Amino acid sequence: MSVVLFRVDERLIHGQVVVGWARQLRPRRIIVVDDALAEDELEQSIYRTGIPEGIDADFWSEREAVRALPGVLKSSERVFVLTADLATMAQLTLEVEGIREVNVGCLHHGDGRRVLPYVRLDEGDERLIDEMSDRGVRVVARDVPSSAPTQLGAQARG
Amino acid sequence: MTGRCGVVVAHGRLADGLLSALSRVAGEQNSLWALSNEGLAGADLEAQITSILADRCAGREAYLLSDMEGGSCGQACRRLLAKGTVKAVLYGVNLPLLVEFVFLQDEAFERFVTAAVEKGRRALGVHA
Repeated sequence: MSVVLFRVDERLIHGQVVVGWARQLRPRRIIVVDDALAEDELEQSIYRTGIPEGIDADFWSEREAVRALPGVLKSSERVFVLTADLATMAQLTLEVEGIREVNVGCLHHGDGRRVLPYVRLDEGDERLIDEMSDRGVRVVARDVPSSAPTQLGAQARG
Repeated sequence: MTGRCGVVVAHGRLADGLLSALSRVAGEQNSLWALSNEGLAGADLEAQITSILADRCAGREAYLLSDMEGGSCGQACRRLLAKGTVKAVLYGVNLPLLVEFVFLQDEAFERFVTAAVEKGRRALGVHA
């Protein structure tokens, strides 16, 4: 599989991604899917400072991602795909064939239920996770590779 | 100007630890404060930094010091620099850099930031 990590993380490109996951999975490219960020060069430059040498970064709108990700999935390039929220990732799993697993990293924001020290989920988040699970996508919280994975969603809750 | 002050923004308990170490070698000081990004989303982290600066640094020239330029702490600092909240952001913070920060308070800006970062850089080394 060419996309080696689909991840939802409100911090997008940060230490856990470029140190923890990138050292383990060695991507050549990180694709951030975020409509606002795709239009914001200052924010892109801030995120680029965290990317190690040898890894490229692209900032795509959701529409661009839906159009181009099928090609990326068929390629041999090792890629991370990041979104800042579950809604964007859920949309990708709906429109792009071949996403089997989604990793959940930092989701601290909001007043949702605390599932893990780094994950809070409100009802809307739970619904999006259940929708992805119903489509056959495993949704697994894991901040760094050395952490134990925690499956999310109604199936995992029993 | 009536001096400089800053917030050390870092992962885990690094900032607290660094300031604890600083107080051992340089004595108690009132120009630096510590903040961890633990449990804080980007906008919340920026708000916390801004709040500390407002409470502790009013009337002084404000700086941010962070562990990694590309980490979420460094990114929050960079955004506040872009908003004009602080005069500069120093990355790769270590104990020698902090000592310079405290003791070079009266130097001109260019010499202050250059000397502090250079001191931190030159502290890296290895004997084998």
